[in-house]
Amino acid sequence: MRFLDQTPPFLFFTGKGGVGKTSLACASAVRFADAGKRVLLVSTDPASNVGQVFGMAIGNRIKAVESVPRLHALEIDPQAAAQRYRDRIVGPVRGLLPDAVVNGIEEQLSGACITEIAAFDEFTALLTDGALLQDYDVVIFDTAPTGHTIRLLQLPGAWSSFLEEGKGDASCLGPLAGLEKQRAQYKAAVDALADASHTRLVLVARAQVSALREVARTHEELAAIGLTQQHLVINAVLPEGEAATDPLAAAIRARERAALAAVPDVLANLPTDYVALKPVNLVGLQALRMMFSDAPATADSVSTALPEAPDLASLVDEMARDEHGLIMVMGKGGVGKTTLAAAIAVELARRNFPVHLTTSDPAAHLTDTLEGSLEHLTVSRIDPHTETERYRQHVLSTKGKDLDEQGRALLEEDLRSPCTEEIAVFQAFSRIIREAGRKFVVMDTAPTGHTLLLLDATGAYHREIARQFGKSGERGMHFTTPMMQLQDEKQTKVLIATLAETTPVLEAAGLQDDLRRAGIEPWAWIINNSLAFARPASPLLQQRAANELVQIDTVATRHARRWAVVPLQPQEPVGIERLSRLTAHRPQPTPA
Amino acid sequence: MTTIQIYDPALCCSSGVCGVDVDQQLVTLAADLKWLEQQGGKVERFNLAQQPMAFAENAVVKGFLERSGQEGLPLILVNGEVALAGRYPRRAELARWAGVSQFTVTAAPAPSCAPGSGCC
Repeated sequence: MRFLDQTPPFLFFTGKGGVGKTSLACASAVRFADAGKRVLLVSTDPASNVGQVFGMAIGNRIKAVESVPRLHALEIDPQAAAQRYRDRIVGPVRGLLPDAVVNGIEEQLSGACITEIAAFDEFTALLTDGALLQDYDVVIFDTAPTGHTIRLLQLPGAWSSFLEEGKGDASCLGPLAGLEKQRAQYKAAVDALADASHTRLVLVARAQVSALREVARTHEELAAIGLTQQHLVINAVLPEGEAATDPLAAAIRARERAALAAVPDVLANLPTDYVALKPVNLVGLQALRMMFSDAPATADSVSTALPEAPDLASLVDEMARDEHGLIMVMGKGGVGKTTLAAAIAVELARRNFPVHLTTSDPAAHLTDTLEGSLEHLTVSRIDPHTETERYRQHVLSTKGKDLDEQGRALLEEDLRSPCTEEIAVFQAFSRIIREAGRKFVVMDTAPTGHTLLLLDATGAYHREIARQFGKSGERGMHFTTPMMQLQDEKQTKVLIATLAETTPVLEAAGLQDDLRRAGIEPWAWIINNSLAFARPASPLLQQRAANELVQIDTVATRHARRWAVVPLQPQEPVGIERLSRLTAHRPQPTPA
Repeated sequence: MTTIQIYDPALCCSSGVCGVDVDQQLVTLAADLKWLEQQGGKVERFNLAQQPMAFAENAVVKGFLERSGQEGLPLILVNGEVALAGRYPRRAELARWAGVSQFTVTAAPAPSCAPGSGCC
């Protein structure tokens, strides 16, 4: 494993949820400790399972891992850190100002930026604590700050406004004014990150086209700000041996090989390691020590009794009853939102409903193959990058036009925050949702609850009027705001897409909470790419499939009002025929 | 000297960058405040999302929030008394409150805005 050779003292793992960052971080920590190094493992996962991996409670104080000599661990919860920050600002006025006002302030402080900056604040201390490196040879983080956060911290303009007067918030960094550390300490932390003799960044991805594309973007963004010491790990690659006996495994392997053959150029020159798929999730020391071994994993065949699970077709049946409406497929990147949205749109069009499918599919190959191919189906595309760029240019040319150099740099960086993309996409999105009164509009993108709440400032006013009209019993007064349309299940159905794995399910539950805050109740969950329901023959895949059942049960019993499982497809579901397979009725297992 | 205080609604960043669209009112206001400053006037601004205590500690502002809610903001106090609510002041109003002549600058001042001015 090249990423573990001659490492600098700080090792950061980064990659999207579900690729196995935490497992890799834990396995690396054990590996170093076994080799005689003193190791500190830092988890910033809000649902950290590091404790579970080592069979102990850890928490937000450095603790010795008893089963592994020389290993210590620490869990930082960025959401708790953000909550402490909110409490510091909002706490003193609670009860003094009206509740509605206090809630409004809290929502303002609930964005993703605040959580990120609060997390950065938490590990700044670790990065700049000289004593730490006397106690430990290696410090391993299972996450890394984004380029946006680091760049903001590097801008002198970001600091001047609140340092000068202690008020006035130039930017999304404004929140830092309420945090405890000093500018010098943040600067030292950023310097440590960009110092190759201090820090190595390990990009983690799966052998999938979209995952590799995303990791290439992260690579470029971080390299551009000086974090050039990067390694790439492709995790959970299906071993060759499995493909021999199982057509499904052979198909998966062929897809992985094709994805790796087409790896983006910017990644091709990075030192790269491949970690083989293991039969079980890596919990427990023994499994962790196996992680980097090249010995073929042996797995016994298991036959899994599949639970009764609704299929996507049954959800489409129910949608079709309303004959029109907005259908939004939401979820984290990589869960197959675009494919699911396309499959639903195709199926509705086949049933002779007019359908407008709008996707943000970056590759656009789906859009290209569908356009004009089916009666009743129109396809359009919202390109988040184009929309964001248009919005940025608009803002810079209007309010940025008279700024001095520092102010302009700051505004430009603010416009690179994740919120900006959401707002820009929302504007494109609002243009389309009006059509949903007449036909089906299916989209694979949607603003988060937080964005909706912030954008609903005018909606609140409309609601107030609606309430007053309602009181006086007047009828026929007819108007809706976009927010009201989204909250009304008759008009809008929100589908949450996820995978039958721990982190994706947790992330989907977080998304659902966020939507509920905005008064939007997700209509159904879709568990996509289920291995279990694809009925693999390979023993290794069978073991993985068996592990899915716990997560499927969690979704069915704890999270979803309606749900469906879509099996993993042997071939990339592109084109009408293959998409239609996703919405075919599935024969239910007959009870034994 | 006249004290002018502006109590802004909760803004993620007072630039309005995080809003639905760039608010032209905020841009214009920032330019007007800059102008007023050059004339020797002074204005204090408070953002509800970041300095809520400033709202709670002022009886007039607190009472206003209880009656009209956040939707009623912005609120503008001149020497501690309500001068305007629900919209931002125009340059002429600012000039009158501050007791400066609107016409002291003959060349049209370029609207400019700097970090911390509240427009960016």
